Amino acid sequence: MSGWKVTTEIAKRDLLDLWRAKMLLVFFIMMPLLFMTMFGFIYPPPVQVNPYTGQIPAPYPNLELAIIQQDNGQIARNVEAQFIQIAESQEIFRVNEITDYSTARSGIVKGQLSGIVVIPQGFTAAIQADAQATVQVTVDQTNPSVAAAVQTEVAEIFGAIENQMSTQYLQQNLGPNADSTFVLQPISISNIPLIPGVPTSFEYLAPSFMALTVITGALNGVSTAISREKEQGTMDGLLVAPIPRRSVILGKIVAQTTRGLIQGFLILGLSMLLFGVVIYGSPITMLLVMVLGVASFIGVGIIMTSLAPEQETAQMMTTLLQFPMMFLSGILFPINQLPVIVQYIGKAFPLYYAADALRKVVILNASVNIIMPDLLVLLAYSVVTMAIAVPIFNRAMAR
Amino acid sequence: MDTIESIYGTESIMTLQRTELAPLSEYAIETHGLTKAFGSFTAVDHVDLAVRKGEIYGFLGPNGAGKSTTIRMLCTLLKPSSGTAKVAGFNIDSEANEVRKRIGLVSEKLIMYTRLTAEQNLMFFGKLYGIDEVELKSKVEELLDMVKLTPFKDRSVGGFSSGMRQRMNVIRALIHDPEIIFLDEPTTALDPQSTKFVRDTIRDLKKGGHTIILTTHIMEEADELSDRISIIDHGKIMATGTVPGLKNEYGTASMLEVFLKVTGREMRDSASDRVSMKAVGRM
Repeated sequence: MSGWKVTTEIAKRDLLDLWRAKMLLVFFIMMPLLFMTMFGFIYPPPVQVNPYTGQIPAPYPNLELAIIQQDNGQIARNVEAQFIQIAESQEIFRVNEITDYSTARSGIVKGQLSGIVVIPQGFTAAIQADAQATVQVTVDQTNPSVAAAVQTEVAEIFGAIENQMSTQYLQQNLGPNADSTFVLQPISISNIPLIPGVPTSFEYLAPSFMALTVITGALNGVSTAISREKEQGTMDGLLVAPIPRRSVILGKIVAQTTRGLIQGFLILGLSMLLFGVVIYGSPITMLLVMVLGVASFIGVGIIMTSLAPEQETAQMMTTLLQFPMMFLSGILFPINQLPVIVQYIGKAFPLYYAADALRKVVILNASVNIIMPDLLVLLAYSVVTMAIAVPIFNRAMAR
Repeated sequence: MDTIESIYGTESIMTLQRTELAPLSEYAIETHGLTKAFGSFTAVDHVDLAVRKGEIYGFLGPNGAGKSTTIRMLCTLLKPSSGTAKVAGFNIDSEANEVRKRIGLVSEKLIMYTRLTAEQNLMFFGKLYGIDEVELKSKVEELLDMVKLTPFKDRSVGGFSSGMRQRMNVIRALIHDPEIIFLDEPTTALDPQSTKFVRDTIRDLKKGGHTIILTTHIMEEADELSDRISIIDHGKIMATGTVPGLKNEYGTASMLEVFLKVTGREMRDSASDRVSMKAVGRM
């Protein structure tokens, strides 16, 4: 029987094994769905203008907010009223008027409030004296994502009130036809996006997660599949047959890569359906990136399998590799946020190049030429690690 | 005609002298100085064996004596550290694939994918031997019928009783009709009915001209089935002969007594045994 036929038979058997384990199959499908849904809702969802109202919806609508009025001047009361009107009409905040700061603070601690806005004493006097007035904002620092949203939304509402106040002031002093925008903001910035729409964290995450799932799926799959067969004794059944040793390993690789690709495409499908991610690139180029990404890790998986005496150790070894890789390869956040030395470590993982290439293909419709540097790195990893892994595997099998 | 003595010399075949030497062509398995060391531990130490074609050869020894390591080398699953061995006339090292085509292994472990059905398992293993699909299908049906498992052919092997599993294990090893079958403790933990079935199958295989290498801890089984027996201990062959010949030599009517006289009565729980089994288990 030819090597390729044996390879396909072994791959088919491995996939049949998954197909027959119905419970495992359910988890196999659920895992990427759950993973993506979870991250999709944790990260701020896409910000899109409502086509009917023209408004940008708040990422976390109707958050509970306290407002404390410590200045009873006319201007302060007007600002408070305007704030409440904008916040509630646009369903950004449900505003609770509270008299003292300690009550509001305990509201945050108890989880009843997401933030506090204080209009302090002297606010009206400052404005009347043509000086800048200050409002104070307190947010729940235990929830950075909501805290950031509260700060942004409060700033935007006060921005709108400020603009109105400035326009009134300028028109009173320069005449009714004065262009207040020229005085306040002589230069405006207009963004021309590379792709249509407003960029979201999820567009960054979806291709990265896809690369992560496919690659770690294959890495885990190969190492645990081989070590499980060694442990259970079925590997003897394969090795005692007149088949090339490489067909055993190739069959495992084909099966695990297929499994990884199924999960990867499930992730992408879900990202498109639920979170509005748009694929601009070619599916063939995506497939090429993922296959090369998997190839770059297979050698590592084989080395781990060959070195591990049993399945549990193999799993531990892959987990040890996966965790730093997940955090340092730019999957969850861009690695330029990290210290320079850590960035170098992140760039040592082939996952960094696979995720980078996949993002460029999916979001920016990058061609093979554009992502060639990433592909060459992945190819180099594949060749070098396989060259090390194959003799180690053969020796381990005949030890 | 060449004899094993003329090839290997008298000194190296001391253990074979109790039985009549057959011409070289009559041997299904021949080993000379077969040795396997794991680091500083020698699991198999210069073993010389000559197994005739068509015989049931009992290969006995206490735990960690070197039985499984020897069998694994003969099945091409382990590379010898030194020495040579021919199985079905082919060198286990340089002609491993030719050896693999001609042998079947029934291990004490279930060499079956538990999630797959009985039929799917047999079809998969059959394809590894390059058997034509149509021929394979009829062979699978014939083998399942032989071990009375046809009604269960579409059931997952994982749900089978230990007796059914071992019957599956036996027919998996027969799927390509091998000349030589290695049975490594085939009746361990089986109920009497399944034990009888496996033993009857072994006799039938012998009648069909197959050579059987049987390792077992059940002395009654070795006594009942084996044409000749070798007892290995500490990696070395300690005794070889026919069952009546060994009983006569050691002055007892019981094969168990022969075994205990050859290998001693102390329990085998030494550190070296554990090292050996761990090293073997790493495979």
